[in-house]
Amino acid sequence: MEGSSEPLLDAKAEVTNQLLDFQWKLGMAVSLDSCRSLKYPKVAVTLKVGERSSQVQNKSFEMTIPPFQNFYRQFKEIAAIIETL
Amino acid sequence: MAGELESCKSLSGLLNGLAQEAFHGHPGITEELLRSQLYPEVPPEEFRPFLAKMKGILKSIASADMDFNQLEAFLTAQTKKQGGITSDQAAVISKFWKSHKTKIRESLMNQSRWDSGLRGLSWRVDSKSQSRHSAQIHTPVAIMELEIGKSGQVKPSIVD
Repeated sequence: MEGSSEPLLDAKAEVTNQLLDFQWKLGMAVSLDSCRSLKYPKVAVTLKVGERSSQVQNKSFEMTIPPFQNFYRQFKEIAAIIETL
Repeated sequence: MAGELESCKSLSGLLNGLAQEAFHGHPGITEELLRSQLYPEVPPEEFRPFLAKMKGILKSIASADMDFNQLEAFLTAQTKKQGGITSDQAAVISKFWKSHKTKIRESLMNQSRWDSGLRGLSWRVDSKSQSRHSAQIHTPVAIMELEIGKSGQVKPSIVD
């Protein structure tokens, strides 16, 4: 997934959701009904997002290693750009 | 017809087709499609047991997530069985598993993911200069849009 070269939101749209917390766990799939013998790492992430005063929402999802590596790479790219500003 | 069934190129294609249907979730790869594309000279009543045998072998290999030693032992045993496979076929199957193992395991993992996954991610970085209520000069902000959902669902979630 590449960073978008065009704005996702128009200039007037206000993003008020903030990332309040980032929780993760690293697990290992040991066996599936379709694959009895497996040792496969996977990452589960829970993001707590919310506006300052309103309800906090949890967004959870799971990634196998290739999508996780891409996820990590995106953050690294963002961090590199922010460093230059 | 044994000659056609022993064709290595066709077997490679067959294993690919079986993997697409069984592991990577591509619908519509029927027995008739495989036969007509890969073994057009073989009649359906001969093709059917052959296909079942290859499918069974592939599923056994995938289910045990065989490493290369296990694979060699397993395929050797199959060549020695009555109505088993030829050593040429064993070589094709071995080569197929070695090059597709990672992808197949990944697909099996994705098939068994019952919680949401990350279906997409895009981002931009803004630099806030000022706002009406506070003079925030030069504050970089990363805005991310994540698409989180189970298979077939996409729920965009915008956060900064």
